[in-house]
Amino acid sequence: MAEKVKLFVNGQEVEVESGKNLIDAIGAIGIEIPHLCYHPALGADGNCRLCLVGIEDGRPPLVPACKTRVAEGMKVQLDTGKIKKIQQDIMEFELINHPIDCPVCDQAGECKLQDYYMRYDAQPSRMTVKQVLKSKKLDFGCGVVHDQERCVLCARCVRFTRLITKTGELGIVNRTDYARVEIFPGRPLNNRYALNVVDLCPVGAMTSQDFRFKQRVWFLTKSPSICHGCSKGCNIFIDHNREKYKDDIIYRFRPRHNEKVNGYFMCDDGRMTYKLENDNRLLGAMIDKRETGFNEAVEAVRRELSQAAKTVILVSPNASLEQMYALQQFAGTINAQVSGFSDGYIKNGDGDDFLIQDDKSANRAAFHLLGIDDTRAGFDTAVAGADLLLSFDNDLSLSLPQTDLDQLLGQVKLITVGSRQNDFVTKASIKVPVASFSEDSGSIINCDGRLQRYDAAVIKNEPMPSMIAAINMLGGGIVSHQEAREGLQANVPKLKDIDLDQVPGDGIALTENEVAHVAA
Amino acid sequence: MQVKVLSAKFDIPDANTLEVAKKHGAYATLDKIFAMQPEEVTEIVKESGLRGRGGAGFPTGLKWTFLPKDTDKSVYLAVNSDESEPATFKDRYILVRDPHLLIEGIIICCYAIRSHAAYIYIRGEYTSQVKVLQAAIDEAYAAGYLGESVAGFDFQLDVTVHRGAGAYICGEETALLESVEGKKGQPRSKPPFPAVEGLYGCPTIINNVQSISSLPFILANGAAAYKAYGTEKSAGTHLFGISGLVKKPGMYELPFGLPILDVLEQVAGGLRDNRTLKGIIPGGSSTPVLTAEEAKTVTLDYESMAAHGTMFGSGGIVVLDDTVDIVKLVENLIHFYHHESCGQCTPCREGLGWMLKIVQKILNYEGTMADIDLLLELCDNIEMKTVCVLSAACTMSTRSYLNKFRSEFEAYIAHSASKHATM
Repeated sequence: MAEKVKLFVNGQEVEVESGKNLIDAIGAIGIEIPHLCYHPALGADGNCRLCLVGIEDGRPPLVPACKTRVAEGMKVQLDTGKIKKIQQDIMEFELINHPIDCPVCDQAGECKLQDYYMRYDAQPSRMTVKQVLKSKKLDFGCGVVHDQERCVLCARCVRFTRLITKTGELGIVNRTDYARVEIFPGRPLNNRYALNVVDLCPVGAMTSQDFRFKQRVWFLTKSPSICHGCSKGCNIFIDHNREKYKDDIIYRFRPRHNEKVNGYFMCDDGRMTYKLENDNRLLGAMIDKRETGFNEAVEAVRRELSQAAKTVILVSPNASLEQMYALQQFAGTINAQVSGFSDGYIKNGDGDDFLIQDDKSANRAAFHLLGIDDTRAGFDTAVAGADLLLSFDNDLSLSLPQTDLDQLLGQVKLITVGSRQNDFVTKASIKVPVASFSEDSGSIINCDGRLQRYDAAVIKNEPMPSMIAAINMLGGGIVSHQEAREGLQANVPKLKDIDLDQVPGDGIALTENEVAHVAA
Repeated sequence: MQVKVLSAKFDIPDANTLEVAKKHGAYATLDKIFAMQPEEVTEIVKESGLRGRGGAGFPTGLKWTFLPKDTDKSVYLAVNSDESEPATFKDRYILVRDPHLLIEGIIICCYAIRSHAAYIYIRGEYTSQVKVLQAAIDEAYAAGYLGESVAGFDFQLDVTVHRGAGAYICGEETALLESVEGKKGQPRSKPPFPAVEGLYGCPTIINNVQSISSLPFILANGAAAYKAYGTEKSAGTHLFGISGLVKKPGMYELPFGLPILDVLEQVAGGLRDNRTLKGIIPGGSSTPVLTAEEAKTVTLDYESMAAHGTMFGSGGIVVLDDTVDIVKLVENLIHFYHHESCGQCTPCREGLGWMLKIVQKILNYEGTMADIDLLLELCDNIEMKTVCVLSAACTMSTRSYLNKFRSEFEAYIAHSASKHATM
């Protein structure tokens, strides 16, 4: 545990973590110090001046909280008339040249200027002279649109491209109130994390081409989840909304802070995988390209299973631990072989040293934990002599060359149980739709061996059954996620000491130390 | 009244060349200082009472002692030659008329602070001055006064001239360091102070050209000889730039402590056309103005200026007579500081532009009495809320005009001001 120091805030003694600055340390115990330019991942810059606080008997007596470390016995003043006046004055300066176009601004509702104005200023404007005019809707590349008039020049975006991506596309040009964030002429944003500047921007200056004008953010339900775009398992918020007379739709993914996995950020590719949850979904059961009822399709699958001489179950590397376990149990009862063959999900060389991984699947690590073979050789052995292939959301066309795939499909009957529509699925004789990860709960293990839990975020007007429910209907013994978790805990040694219902918010590393720590 | 301490070689033709400068005593102190310990040199400078000539007046020798002892990092000297404060024109004389005085001072300073690399940060607009300075440095290198072995002693020193690109803010010492490092010239938050963490993260001393150029005299003649000039707390002499509506504007070297009105009459020739004195800007545009009445008791030194609610500043004196329109002067003043604000801190970036537009509104006969009070409040709201003191330079001076010449603003607002007053 981190060391603590005692200090006084507005005369009250409080205990906070040592080694941190005033904003973070005092913020952790629920006392807000307003700030625009400081961000824990980007460090203190000290330009907004909004976090100026008084230090009683301090030299100097007025300091930026972002640049001031907590110290034993420090007497911090936040509620004096002087400090409140400074906060009000800084907010006035921030707003005099701001267009105040909240009604058409995407940031409205999650804007620091709005929040702080209501909390720390709330005074009518005294600006009777002309405002500074700057450029609007500048295309900065990578889907980032910049509005210079809304910008407070906190330089978070500039520091992000310098400190995090180290690509340095952004800078602040000119001085005084002509200063503005700019790209170099003809050199737009060009990195795979660029959209993080939209999240970092405390105001509406950086907007996402993809999201702007789509939704008012106060209508969005913000559900915590895990990105399934690659094996990193970045923590996200799924921002979704069911508009009147419409279905529950996802409008964006945003990174959710988890110091152990992704920090404050996520990649642009992962961010855009929200579209996979909305579009190209398998929405109804089909038998031989004929739409049919769900139960009818399940019956057809059961019939095929009972008639098959040899069945192979193909599991997706995106399936949750619970789903994999339920499938393993199911395979045991019908005497089928299980393969996780999915080489096509791996894009060698695509990853980087930050967040992006080569493996574009979310839970391959669980294959190894549960002993599911995912090699080509294993798959070939399994399908040798088989006449039925039951694929659970695994797009085999990614992994098998066309000729091999055609040959295989000439040999076996293909049945797919999955959430998505794609070329491989169209080749199936029976298709059974199930919920996708955003509509389901589960546990996954990322590339670093960290087990994380996500819960259902989206509830469709006509919800698809969960994959576990579908497996159960097909004859699998596991009836619920709960039962799958209990089974995993009882049968997988590495999960013995982990309560899968109580996975900590930042996940748990499957190493002796951390497991022991959480169990204690 | 005039003395020749710093300016001893200013009137000698070609004193910028090594040959002429040496004939008149340049580099004569080197034998003496290299026979001393660096700490002894610092001690003499402390004893001399030399204060920083950049404007703040911080004791030079004391500043040197803030360097960490026994550091394993390089120590740098940065010579501030960004002389950009309106009404200030003193360092440029040293650069052109006696550059070897500066180089000799740099050698003395670097020896005292154990630095082997000095940067002269010169104002971008000083295009002709930089040529003279660079030629002198080249000569000093060729003659062995700079380089691997300074004047044959076991002491290495390299001097690099770094040209600014035309930003007033780069005269602020940490913005200067940023600029030397190749970054946008924006002041750094302090602490850490440059003496601990300055150029390239190393301990750095930043001194003004005139401060450094005062060292050869002090080391050659001793602290007492220097202290013989000036007052107890303002020792020595200063290069005063007198401008404005006087008969003989120009640069004059004077000891500290002289009555400002005597200097105005006897050195600068008095006011033009028998006009009457309205006020005096005592030390560069950022220093609060003195009224004619206040000027009667002011002497040219740090303590008298402070007692009169202003600052000695850079010694750039601007004389204002009764024809000066204070509102136009303030517009000009805020225009400058607004234009030169680096735009980093919110109050300065947004506030100075707002103040400027309010004054312009008053000048356009559209102002209200509330605007004067708003201006005064904005001065308070901006001042000392920023990383550096550029905003304070603007607000302290603006406030002084608003308070001391409020009636002129009110006259504009009352539509009665003369439209033809000149500044």
